[in-house]
Amino acid sequence: MTRVEKRILIVDDDRDFVEATQAFLEANGFTVLKAHNGKDGVKLAKMERPDLILMDIMMDERTEGFFTIQEMRRQEELKGVPIFVISSLYTEMPDFDNPPDRAWLAHDEFLAKPVDMVQLVEKIRQRIGQPA
Amino acid sequence: MGEAAAPETVVVIDDDYAMRLSCCKILSKMGFGVEAFEDGTRGLEGVGRLKPGLIVVDLKMPGISGMEVISRVHEIDPQITIVVITGYATIDTAVEAMKCGAYDFLPKPFSPDELRLIVNRGLERRRLSLESQRCEVERAMLKRRFVTFVSHQLRTPLVAIHQYLDVLKHLGDTAEVAAKREEWIDRCLKRTDELQSLIADWLTLARVEGGTLTKERIKVDLKQLLPGILKTYEAMAAGEGVSLHAALSEAPLCVSGDWNCLTVLFDNLITNGIKYNRPGGKVTVSGWPAEGEVVVTVGDTGVGIPEQYRPFLFDEFFRIKDEGAKKTTGTGLGLHISKKIVAEMAGSLDFESQPGTGSTFRVRVPAWHEADVAKTGSSE
Repeated sequence: MTRVEKRILIVDDDRDFVEATQAFLEANGFTVLKAHNGKDGVKLAKMERPDLILMDIMMDERTEGFFTIQEMRRQEELKGVPIFVISSLYTEMPDFDNPPDRAWLAHDEFLAKPVDMVQLVEKIRQRIGQPA
Repeated sequence: MGEAAAPETVVVIDDDYAMRLSCCKILSKMGFGVEAFEDGTRGLEGVGRLKPGLIVVDLKMPGISGMEVISRVHEIDPQITIVVITGYATIDTAVEAMKCGAYDFLPKPFSPDELRLIVNRGLERRRLSLESQRCEVERAMLKRRFVTFVSHQLRTPLVAIHQYLDVLKHLGDTAEVAAKREEWIDRCLKRTDELQSLIADWLTLARVEGGTLTKERIKVDLKQLLPGILKTYEAMAAGEGVSLHAALSEAPLCVSGDWNCLTVLFDNLITNGIKYNRPGGKVTVSGWPAEGEVVVTVGDTGVGIPEQYRPFLFDEFFRIKDEGAKKTTGTGLGLHISKKIVAEMAGSLDFESQPGTGSTFRVRVPAWHEADVAKTGSSE
């Protein structure tokens, strides 16, 4: 039997958030890759082409996640990889000095932090299926 | 403020040659750049080009009326102050002009003093209104930024705690998670500590800003205060492999301030020196009297402050995000609070930094004078 791995990349600067989320995803059979800033996230994503990406917004820079998503969207090898934004900034952010290009809205899901783990796994399964 | 003292430009629009001439003479003697125009069309063209702070306009002119000039000038820039000149029997028109947005009017004939007075007053009002507009914009921006940061900084540890608890609740009895339980609970406790210090720092900041923390002015000898603080942080320093040193002058280092407030100040500087250091490094606190002031420096042997971060070092929530500094914890408020405390004491706080060698923060505050006793009513 060939094992079908489902790999999820978490990009988030809070190591505790990553650790907890990783544990839950792994318990549900997913394989987890992690990066703690946007730059490493893009690098790892291009190298590993994960099945799905979970993206934080406010990391070192206040809008780092948005620009990281834009950058990922430009990568040929990441075409079609769903990106879920998980952020505690769940308003429309009227307070950003330089609103990023609206292209960031191309993210596939927006989940508010703290995120309901069961619901998160459910949404991931709907999108990419359950690892066999 | 540090604005270039370019002379304010004043534009005069009047069809009467003698009037233009005398206004120009008086106003240029006051140090303004003055240009005069003989009708509204030319005047408006001049206003668009010169961007004056104030215009003096005759209400009764051939061609475009003074009244129309007023509204067109305010279309160009609503902050331009307009003074109207009116001939006799046109006071009603002058009142009308002021309803349209003119600042004041000068009935003909007027004396040079009257012109000077009204122009100065008009420009002063303009300056104040521009200033308050600028402050308003800045305040609104800071407030929005503050709210974003505060909510993000409060939520981040809360989210981490929530996430751990959520996973423990769902998977607590699996072997993998059970093995992590201890560690995760410790992490949760650490994150609650983070929240506590965040709140503590904000409260300190609010008290500094409200002036209550620095209100008390008693005689404090830093030679008594500083060794105590150093002792408090000995264990923390040892944990980082950093040694603490004091080099205080023989003479007493008395300043006029509040004990708690000064403790917060040097706590911040010394803990920064420990945190942004290297194993085997040193933190040296030196103090000496200097011409009516007391100088205290806190020097470390850390990596130094990279050039690009220096201008932001005292900003609220600013933290250096280099790889090396990432492991350190903090609220990003310590230096901001310290700067405010020193400013409240009429002193100064600055720093020097050598990449790879370390940084030295220098506090200068006015020394204690016996006369201060009378001011504060406190006695020692």
